[in-house]
Amino acid sequence: MKKIILCYGGFLGILYVLYGFLQVYNGLISWGLQGDVLQLGIEIYETSIPNVFPDVFSGVALTTTGLLFLTSTYHSLKKSEYYRGYIFAAWLLSILLMLLNIVELFASFIDAYYPFLLGYKPGEWSLATDPWGIAPHLILGALAAPLYLVFRDFIRELTF
Amino acid sequence: MIRVALMGNPNVGKSVIFNNLTGSHQKVGNWPGKTVEKKEGFFEYNGEKIYVVDLPGTYSLTAYSVEEIIARNYIVEEKPDVVVVVIDASNLERNLYLVLQVLELGAKVIVALNKMDLAKASSISIDTAKLEKLLGVPVVPMIAPKKIGIEELCRKIVEMAKVKEWSIKIRYGELEKVISELTRDLEKEELFEKYNTRWLAIKLLEGDPQVLEEIEKAPKGENILGKLEKIKEIFEEKYGDFEIAFVEARYDIVKQIIKKAVKGEKKLAASDALDQALLDKYLGIPIFISILWMMFQFTFIASTPFSNILSDLLAVLSEKLRGATGIPHLDYLLFGEYGVLNGIGTILSFIPLIMTLYFAMSLLEDSGYMARAAFLIDRAMKKLGLTGKNVIPIILGFGCNIAGVYGTRIIAGEEDRIIAIVTNPLIPCTARLAVFTVIAAAFWEFAAVNVLLSLYILGILLSVLMALALRKTVFKGIYSPFIVELPPYQMPSLKVAVTQMWIRGSLFFKKAGTTILLGLLVIGLLATTNASTLTFTENVEESLLASLGKALQLLFEPLNWDWRLVVAAFFGFVAKEIIIGATAMLYGASEEGLPALLNQYYDPLTMYAYMVFILVYVPCIATLAAIRQETGSWKWTIFTMLYEILLAYGLSFLIVHIGRFLVGAGI
Repeated sequence: MKKIILCYGGFLGILYVLYGFLQVYNGLISWGLQGDVLQLGIEIYETSIPNVFPDVFSGVALTTTGLLFLTSTYHSLKKSEYYRGYIFAAWLLSILLMLLNIVELFASFIDAYYPFLLGYKPGEWSLATDPWGIAPHLILGALAAPLYLVFRDFIRELTF
Repeated sequence: MIRVALMGNPNVGKSVIFNNLTGSHQKVGNWPGKTVEKKEGFFEYNGEKIYVVDLPGTYSLTAYSVEEIIARNYIVEEKPDVVVVVIDASNLERNLYLVLQVLELGAKVIVALNKMDLAKASSISIDTAKLEKLLGVPVVPMIAPKKIGIEELCRKIVEMAKVKEWSIKIRYGELEKVISELTRDLEKEELFEKYNTRWLAIKLLEGDPQVLEEIEKAPKGENILGKLEKIKEIFEEKYGDFEIAFVEARYDIVKQIIKKAVKGEKKLAASDALDQALLDKYLGIPIFISILWMMFQFTFIASTPFSNILSDLLAVLSEKLRGATGIPHLDYLLFGEYGVLNGIGTILSFIPLIMTLYFAMSLLEDSGYMARAAFLIDRAMKKLGLTGKNVIPIILGFGCNIAGVYGTRIIAGEEDRIIAIVTNPLIPCTARLAVFTVIAAAFWEFAAVNVLLSLYILGILLSVLMALALRKTVFKGIYSPFIVELPPYQMPSLKVAVTQMWIRGSLFFKKAGTTILLGLLVIGLLATTNASTLTFTENVEESLLASLGKALQLLFEPLNWDWRLVVAAFFGFVAKEIIIGATAMLYGASEEGLPALLNQYYDPLTMYAYMVFILVYVPCIATLAAIRQETGSWKWTIFTMLYEILLAYGLSFLIVHIGRFLVGAGI
């Protein structure tokens, strides 16, 4: 079981680092660096899923999460007890990033449609046009979420 | 009556034991002349009346902090019958260090071994009988919240109070020779009755500043100091720094005790495992930056729709109120395009932003992560030779710089404290966040959070660099050490976060209704008074305010500001929120919205430089008053104003001109 979790953690780690680097790169492009914005996903209706929108700090957050997953795998291979802390910290960050993505979508939706309630013309918004629409934060967070089942005891011990 | 002093490290459960012992017979006040809380109480046991004083929590008994000085002076001067040292059974190493220091004072000690349940959960088994034997004092195992061990503690207090002969000496190996030599000299001089001479000798060798000062003042003090110098000359080559030698010797004894009295390897607790990751040497800072980014992103995105709704509602209200007074001039001043309601409305529309930030900060504080952030910054600061205690005022400064300046009271050294006070205003407070948010949203839209974060990082960096510059030039003395207490992690409570958000947010409401409103009224009056005729005018360009702004604008021409931005920054001296209200009023932003108007007048580079200026230049008037009060000097207050103005101007100038040179005006 532990091996499966750590392999899965390692797999998530690689994905987070990959998308993190891409986002940092795209962020630097948006700041004026020469080059084209890169995407790594499936193209549906001219929108990439996931959409790696340009944002350096967001990329740093994704990369850090990935490195935490990978460090936990490293400690586990060294048979060090520390792996528990690293994988939990990585999971926590991935869940927080996913929640942030959900809050952003919800807030953008309200912002676009509240004028309707005041009798004005509502704004335009869709998952496809919102850069955070289907971002790596959401997809990778959803992939990491099932690890909660493994961390229940850890969380209980942490808040003892 | 038996007099008992209760002491221990912070968070060992001392207050719970104090409450269990004294019940409702308590009195809370302050230690004479200090802002540290003093708790005392009474209880009776087997017919004996027992008085208990709860001493401030300390990690050691050196003279580096107010708490340490209060605790040790009480034991030395008041000589309580019994000192109960409460220790955390799950963290013996750090706690036993304090026990040894209390024993050095010659006090009659009982060790209350609290949190036995936590020790058991960490697979630690403590042989209390052996611990008693090794320390030479009674040890009472306890679980204070469940009142386990309280009865036994009371019994031991009464027994110990009756002990007449008491002498325990902690033997410090090779250092004993030096201690004995100095003790003999001290005994001959008979300097102070109140002090245990062996303790005095140890403290002199350690270079304790308070003890050295007392010896200097004593009639035969010079003799002792002369002998101390001779002893140090002879032995220092062998032992090196005596203070470090004593710390090492105490920890050696603690390790020996733990080796003999504790069984079982401590299992890596979940909190320790998580700390290992969150405080990682390489990943700790990126995690901190990621969490900070998430906090701002959350604040920005979650509050935007509510700010927009509020802004629209206030615009509707402003429209409805036009003509309400029946006096055209007053109506124009209050509800007109350049009116006060326009300004105050713009500020009020940022209430969701400020409340959301407080909510997010409260969640972080409650989870226990803020203390870890303090530890991370402390680690970096120590490398630069700065006191880590400055971290707490920095974190308080994110909310409000006044709180940050008062928060420097926890810093013991006078020099470190002044450094922390004069650099705190560089930390961006929530008032400045409102200003930055409007400008960042106007010019960077999607990347606005990154711009905000860059300003926060710049503020922290400037504060650290300024502190470093002061430490390397004006203050070259020693800095006081800082131990960061890491509280246990906990699930943040929504109720606590909402309460904190409301308490802090209501202070903002109060400020908006008083200082800010008054400031905007003054601006409104000056903006509607003709500069040459001193009569009412609707043309803001002819107003008194425009004259003032245009006169000052000459200075800011190299930064490309028009007079309105100059005036807004000028009135920001009263309260930083006024900047955004004044900008809205002076540009008449009610119809089009301030962001759109600013976009017509300025380019992003100029406005980034303007934000940096607002970040760095003079603190608000209330913060200056706090600086004057806390430094007790006009010199440091004026210094803070001057260096901040010069730094702000210099940085803005460089940003504008280097920026233009590098990428041209079109970015």
